[in-house]
Amino acid sequence: MLQLIDLRRRFGDVVALDGLSFEVPEGRIVGFVGRNGSGKTTTMRITLGVLQADGGEVRWRGAPVDAAVRRRFGYMPEERGLYPKMRLREQLVYLARLRGTPKDVARDRASELLQVLEVIGDPQARMESLSLGNQQRVQLAASLVHAPELLVLDEPFSGLDPVGVDVLAGVLSREARERGVAVVFSSHQLDLVERLCDAVVLVDHGRVVTSGTIEELRAMRARNLWRVEVAGAGAEWWSAVPGVRLDEHRDGEVILELDDAADPQRVLDLARAEGDVRAFGPIEPTLAQLFREVVAG
Amino acid sequence: MSDAATRTTDRGTWLLVARRDFWVRLRERSFLISTLLNMVVISILVLARAYGGAGQGPSFDLGYVGPPPVADGAVALGQHAGVTVHVHELPDEMAAAQALRDGSVDAVVFGDRIVARSSLDPTLGGLIEASSRQVRIDALLDRHGVTAQERADANAGLPVQTIEAPPPPHRSENAEVAFVAVILLYGQLFGYGIWVATGVIEEKASRVVELLLSAIRPKQLLAGKIVGIGILGLGQLIVVATFAIVLALVTGALDVPLSAVGAAALVIGWFILGFAFYASLFAAAGALASRPEELQNVIVPINLIILVSFFISIGALQNPDGRLVTIASLLPMSAPLAMPVRIVLGAAPWWQVLLSLAVIVGSTVVLVPAAARLYIGAILRSGGRVRIRDAWRAAA
Repeated sequence: MLQLIDLRRRFGDVVALDGLSFEVPEGRIVGFVGRNGSGKTTTMRITLGVLQADGGEVRWRGAPVDAAVRRRFGYMPEERGLYPKMRLREQLVYLARLRGTPKDVARDRASELLQVLEVIGDPQARMESLSLGNQQRVQLAASLVHAPELLVLDEPFSGLDPVGVDVLAGVLSREARERGVAVVFSSHQLDLVERLCDAVVLVDHGRVVTSGTIEELRAMRARNLWRVEVAGAGAEWWSAVPGVRLDEHRDGEVILELDDAADPQRVLDLARAEGDVRAFGPIEPTLAQLFREVVAG
Repeated sequence: MSDAATRTTDRGTWLLVARRDFWVRLRERSFLISTLLNMVVISILVLARAYGGAGQGPSFDLGYVGPPPVADGAVALGQHAGVTVHVHELPDEMAAAQALRDGSVDAVVFGDRIVARSSLDPTLGGLIEASSRQVRIDALLDRHGVTAQERADANAGLPVQTIEAPPPPHRSENAEVAFVAVILLYGQLFGYGIWVATGVIEEKASRVVELLLSAIRPKQLLAGKIVGIGILGLGQLIVVATFAIVLALVTGALDVPLSAVGAAALVIGWFILGFAFYASLFAAAGALASRPEELQNVIVPINLIILVSFFISIGALQNPDGRLVTIASLLPMSAPLAMPVRIVLGAAPWWQVLLSLAVIVGSTVVLVPAAARLYIGAILRSGGRVRIRDAWRAAA
């Protein structure tokens, strides 16, 4: 398990990280979301030792992380880049060997990854001759080639076409489920995070605002919204139930906000008394909605 | 899975970096071109010496018509004076005129006169003059009944005494060796320094450096790069120096091949010292830039220092004892160029050589961590040139 404990970092007067803490269990995929400038990249750089924290601690499997431990981490930086003139496989083998993988093992894995990631191009081709999408796949291969125990990916999906997104999503799931890798990635594509991640960490102004599984986040949300559609209902029919108020009026249906005291079943009874209930149910907010709600609130 | 096979220590990672930098650059065309260029320049210098006549004394072709004693005497006298005279017997005046016209002889001795083409070379003229005088005096002495013994006594050379003293400095052969040495050292220090800076900028500009530094420590990346490129420069130097020595031996350009071997060893040794001193500076300069186009700007100060050292060292060829040259040979930034020149020319006392070595080794030991700190502080900062002060603070 990766543990980030009370990380702090300033850049001049700007506080980038203000006591940020969260965990990434092995075999799990954690989505790391937050607005631009909320501290995601700084957190990842500190995790990989590329940047020093002013305070706090990074632990892996219970022990403080040092250079030797980081060799077992895989990283995809926000700013992509490999040697433009180096050949694909040679480059991957070199990067794996820097992290201590023996040469022959590295060569096998490099070839395998180029296939799995469906990189179109000769393994002998130079990096600069590839299309951007293909370069991005090689970049992912570079983070995986030494069979890491932890994967830290900064915006891995940006710049990928839908096919590339599916390939990458598949690879991440496999790494987590089959190899037990701890995966954490940042993304602005919240539907992807929702689909792929076991847990989400939402960060703002250098602190974790909320974290948990998607279900937990939904349960934790402040607002309890219900959608009701009743044919031929009178105006303000719900006002008989205490703790219910109108959130939004759409054509034919209403969104009601219930506080803790209000019982949804009583609202339903009332609705049936009014007329034909066409729809009744809680609104499962999307991650995007939760995100907006938390960040705005 | 391969996890078990993964080594857990990062010792020796710099060696992987060094190996990559060595091979990548070895395969670059500019390496091949610079090696060939070095060899061509050396060949021109060596061949100019071997066949330009600078190494041996002058040589003449002397014809004679009639009895040979005057011509033979000129040959003997020429040997003493370090002048080679080849004699050619010619049957008559016609043949002599022909030989003069086609240039196969420089002058012709008839019994009582000398004929030359346009003008007589003073050296050759002097030899013939002296030889002819000797022949006439001998004839005169014969007539007066002077015995052979008396004549030999009168002709005996003066006894020669020698004193113990170091060989004279500033010999022309040494000056040429020193010239080649300083050209090689300058090209090598500057060229490979630039390669270090370029290599650093390439990694920074392509952003691969962030991935590299998530795997290895900045010091390992820096050390690997400097060692890899340095060994390539050293290898090239050894190849070129060996080529120069073999060429000089084959063509007979140098009288004392040992001095050339010594000079080559000197060049190689001072390259190692100079490269160790300069390479980390070049790396730090490279890290301060963020795009390859900025290379020229960031290396200007280093560039100037090396260039000034180079010109002082070229000046040292004429005056290796001058005060400026002496100071330059003791300062760490100019010693790698100035000191070898003074050593080859025999102008550096041993204590100055030792002092110079101590100064450059000492200042390298101080400089490398400082340059490494700048490198570390600047290498991950993108977007425009990094100021030295910011880089220094960032790595604190």
